[in-house]
Amino acid sequence: MTERMRIEAILRELFEVAARPGVSVAKRAKRGKPLVGVLPYYAPEEIVHATGMLPVGVWGGTADISKANHYFPPFACPLVKSALELAIRGVYDGLAAMMVPCLCESLTFFGQNFRAARPDIPFVPVVHPQNRRSPEGVAYLRAEYQKVQARLEAIAGRKIAPGDLDSAIGIFNDHRRALRAFLEEAPRHPSLVLPGVRHAVVKSSYFMDRAEHAALVGELTRHLKGIPEGESGRGKKVVVTGIMAEPEGLMGLFEDVGLDVVADDLAQESRAFRTDVPDGGDPLERLARRWSLVEGCSLAFDPGKERNRILLELVRRSGARGLVVLMMQFCDPEEMDYPLYRKDFDAAGIPVLHLETEPRMSLEQARTRLQSFAEMI
Amino acid sequence: MYALGVDIGSASSKAVVLNGGGEVAGQAVIPVGTGTTGPERALREALEQAGIRREEVSRTVATGYGRVTFVGADRQVSEITCHARGVLHLVPEARTIIDIGGQDVKVIQAEPPGLVRNFVMNDKCAAGTGRFLEVMARVLGLEVEQLAGVAETSARTVSISSICTVFAESEVISHLSRGEPMPDVLAGIHQSVAKRVAGLVSRLGARPPLVLTGGVAKNGGVVRALEKELRLEIRIAPSCQLTGALGAALIAREDLSRI
Repeated sequence: MTERMRIEAILRELFEVAARPGVSVAKRAKRGKPLVGVLPYYAPEEIVHATGMLPVGVWGGTADISKANHYFPPFACPLVKSALELAIRGVYDGLAAMMVPCLCESLTFFGQNFRAARPDIPFVPVVHPQNRRSPEGVAYLRAEYQKVQARLEAIAGRKIAPGDLDSAIGIFNDHRRALRAFLEEAPRHPSLVLPGVRHAVVKSSYFMDRAEHAALVGELTRHLKGIPEGESGRGKKVVVTGIMAEPEGLMGLFEDVGLDVVADDLAQESRAFRTDVPDGGDPLERLARRWSLVEGCSLAFDPGKERNRILLELVRRSGARGLVVLMMQFCDPEEMDYPLYRKDFDAAGIPVLHLETEPRMSLEQARTRLQSFAEMI
Repeated sequence: MYALGVDIGSASSKAVVLNGGGEVAGQAVIPVGTGTTGPERALREALEQAGIRREEVSRTVATGYGRVTFVGADRQVSEITCHARGVLHLVPEARTIIDIGGQDVKVIQAEPPGLVRNFVMNDKCAAGTGRFLEVMARVLGLEVEQLAGVAETSARTVSISSICTVFAESEVISHLSRGEPMPDVLAGIHQSVAKRVAGLVSRLGARPPLVLTGGVAKNGGVVRALEKELRLEIRIAPSCQLTGALGAALIAREDLSRI
């Protein structure tokens, strides 16, 4: 098999996982590992892994909302609303537990609504402190993770053995490094790693064992490095920011209108694996310290607004001609940040497109905006 | 060599043919848009006016909501780029372009020769668009073309507070049933459109001169209400419904010079 054929085979496999996560997850469940649903963001998935269970990303979907309207008002985050709808419809019936970080109001409400709607699925809340850089904040989060560990151990019916959590941290850090290396290499192959493909490679990680995913992505990156750079200059380079590059078809529009995604600052993508778990100390403390190291994320208290600088640097370093903001509808944390970094981008003369997204958005309106932006930059 | 621009909107279809000298040889506006016979009829009418056959067109650029599905275009360009190109051709000093179409409103910051510096569009809501006015005209038992004339006789403006088209329709009906004069209610409808559009303009910042395009630009009542809301003079683009198609034809012509 040639290098290019192997690349295409891996991309096909990951694309399939991202396009049909239910099928992928069901296949892995047959191997005997209990599944734990994990809502965004910054959940200590390493603890789930160490208990012998498989963490599975729960990022909502494109379901028509009907039953979730009983629990949420119309102007609620579509991610959690669709996740609840799917939970009520039974899509998550096979889960051993649902882990829910409470990093925004919507997730907090989701947690309470989920408990009421699906009392049969064990609920594992995770409350991160926003005073996260003080020693007290780290100590608090360590204690919180200790509770999470005890709860997950009870659900799994087994204790985490000494060394298992450190080993899980190693696997997850390796996975983060593998994804970062892939995203570093991807812009050199714009005709092969199209925006939709790039998104699928990252998204697929939420529905696979991290070690398995890291191995595939690592092999993919090695093969990509082994082939000549793809032709450049066809598409216009942009950076995307926001929560996630959904719904399905959105990234296809980027391809249609000639926009190449050369870097991202999405909560589901780069932000999720930008920060490694640091070395030193006991594993729960290491996990807690990771949260204190997170920078430039709307979900993490950022008094100096480092995100503005990080985003500007990302655009400049990647050679992008503009920034596309994929603004999740009714997402307070992202909406709070937007005017601040927008001001800096305007001052720097870097074009910005604000595109509101939601699972059932009109892709035709989005096409006009994206195409106009591509023609403008 | 002829260049053709086709602008297929949600409410109407427009076509402009440019001759080798860059002059308008034919143009047409058909009051039905994408998914109808409108695009084909607009094309036929513009070609007839130019006195040429379809085969004599060397390059076609499609724009508007129906641009992707239009068969026969050499390429498609977004309506934002085309409106900027068309308006700046006609009014080179224009810096802010407001296009109020059938189902969307676009505000464009532009610079010669046809560059888009920035733009905003309305989101998922028909308030402030041509469709909103069509619904209101139906409630009032008027044709859209009659709206401006009737509103001119208003003595005061009856405020319409609902943004949603459906709720605004109910509000208009309740004002009429309470005995409010139709011209006063209509003035309120125009003010409602103007407020919505002015909100979009303020997101970009209004750099004069402001030029209004699209079918709604023919409604003097909306234009006056918008001027009042923005406290700025608004110019109406010549052939205001055709600026998108003109821009598309100009781009087709530029393509030809490069091929």
